[in-house]
Amino acid sequence: MTLLRSKLACMLLTGVVASSLAMPALAETIVAEAEEATVNTLEPPKTGWFFVKGGWGSAGSSIFDSATGKMIGMIATGRDSDMAIDPAGKVYYVAETIWTKGNRGTRQDLVAVYDAKTLKLLTEIPTPGRLIIGGLKTNFMLSDDGKTAYDYNFDPASSVNVIDLVKRKFVRAIELPGCANLIPNPGVGFSSLCADGTLATIAVKGASQEITRTEPFFDAAADPIFANFAYDRKKKQAVFLSYTGMVRTAAISAKPVVSEPFSIQQAAGLRAADTKPLDIAWFPGGSQVMALHRPTSTLYVLMHMGEYWTHKHGGDEIWALDLTSKKVTKRIPIKSPVHNIEVTQDDAALIMITDRKNNATILDAKTGEIKHAIENAGGGHITVVEPM
Amino acid sequence: MKTFNPDAIGEKLLRRFAGRTSRRSIISRLGIALVAAPIFPVLPVSRAEAAKPDRTPEAKTAFARNAQTKDDTKCDYWRYCAIDGSLCTCCGGGVHTCPAGSEPSPVSWVGSCINPEDGKAYMIAYRDCCGKPACGQCGCDNTDRETQVYLPQLNNNVIWCFGTSSMEYHCSTAIMIGAA
Repeated sequence: MTLLRSKLACMLLTGVVASSLAMPALAETIVAEAEEATVNTLEPPKTGWFFVKGGWGSAGSSIFDSATGKMIGMIATGRDSDMAIDPAGKVYYVAETIWTKGNRGTRQDLVAVYDAKTLKLLTEIPTPGRLIIGGLKTNFMLSDDGKTAYDYNFDPASSVNVIDLVKRKFVRAIELPGCANLIPNPGVGFSSLCADGTLATIAVKGASQEITRTEPFFDAAADPIFANFAYDRKKKQAVFLSYTGMVRTAAISAKPVVSEPFSIQQAAGLRAADTKPLDIAWFPGGSQVMALHRPTSTLYVLMHMGEYWTHKHGGDEIWALDLTSKKVTKRIPIKSPVHNIEVTQDDAALIMITDRKNNATILDAKTGEIKHAIENAGGGHITVVEPM
Repeated sequence: MKTFNPDAIGEKLLRRFAGRTSRRSIISRLGIALVAAPIFPVLPVSRAEAAKPDRTPEAKTAFARNAQTKDDTKCDYWRYCAIDGSLCTCCGGGVHTCPAGSEPSPVSWVGSCINPEDGKAYMIAYRDCCGKPACGQCGCDNTDRETQVYLPQLNNNVIWCFGTSSMEYHCSTAIMIGAA
């Protein structure tokens, strides 16, 4: 024991000497008082934050501050769950599925409610089911006033669960055959893309609902619209992009109006892409394939060179499409393919892109300059605070 | 080029499943899906069914031009034109066989893949094997005629472990259904 003590003293002394040689001034004043274990809290969700879901099978969404590139917290978002941010900034909602015995037992579908400041679980709202898929941003959606959540279910008939977020209670399920991917429709209910090429609008009226559809405007089998479309709550406008690069906007109301399509490739001064094999062109591709900067109506799209049916290929370039002038105003090359893109909604917009190796890059949306590179940020989709 | 009819395929598969299962709740949900079938699209592609299939290289997708028939543990095996996930052939199973301890899903998404040996298109059901952790071997993500979740029978992101005792995804098989 004496020998051990003398060895320890020697090691400590050596350490002190070595550190004093390496550091001429003390980095910090050592206060020899016992410290307490403390826990941080968070500010309400901010415009400059990116919420980055881990890759497939991951159980958390990391929050990064776009200004510093630093991680500031994590929300427990179980495997294949869907997260939504309360418009009032007070809570986070996570629609998820768990089993009583981990990988088996009784299935439980629920919406977990987390306090935005402490990130502690406040309550769980049981629901009858939900689609287990991951990677889709249009499964779980809140109304603009934050009072109602709509959670898409597929078992394998499709329906939408309506959840009262004030009472924190499941209300009822609405059968929605042949449709999926939800769009808020304030004062009406919600809208949804359908396999027959229409946009369905579900007017929720107490215990009943009325479902109406637009005329067909796209071919769901031949040139599908990406399910991870964008929606501008202020303008009440959805932005759709098809596999071939056709862009449409939809004015959302009780009777939505869908615009005529235009080609993103033609907006860049190139010929429109088509579905023929061996026809090499720029195509949109990835998982979260596009991001809308709502204040400037600029759509940022991940694009790659290839043939048709390459809609999951990662992007080699980001194209900035001005939806007002219908022109591609900037093309930003990327070093290696990325699959997800999102943009902060402030004037000094910053883009985040992630790849399948969980690497993230934060770029200046105007210049394309790389601001931060983050390893192990997460390979799942990215969420930002939406302007209301 | 002949394009297959997703509605007919979906209905065929669902009817086949409904005919041999005893799970009342799933049948009831499938019943709703079947009732929904007529509301599903009468797509322009359906009208093209009568056209003679074009199997020239110019009409084939990049996958079909490069597909092979010898090794079903590789992503370019011809049946895997729209598969997404781990190949069960790499996980202790086979092209239509689930690995020990896992359970085949009774429903699936489908693909229409061209066999390079005879140049014909066949309908392939990608049935997930469920009830064990993700196999992790031989991950593939092929996307010929793969659509979005509003056309679910052609979407390969959905975990199709419906009606099984566990919805945990293990791997995917590629089962021959017949000529497309």
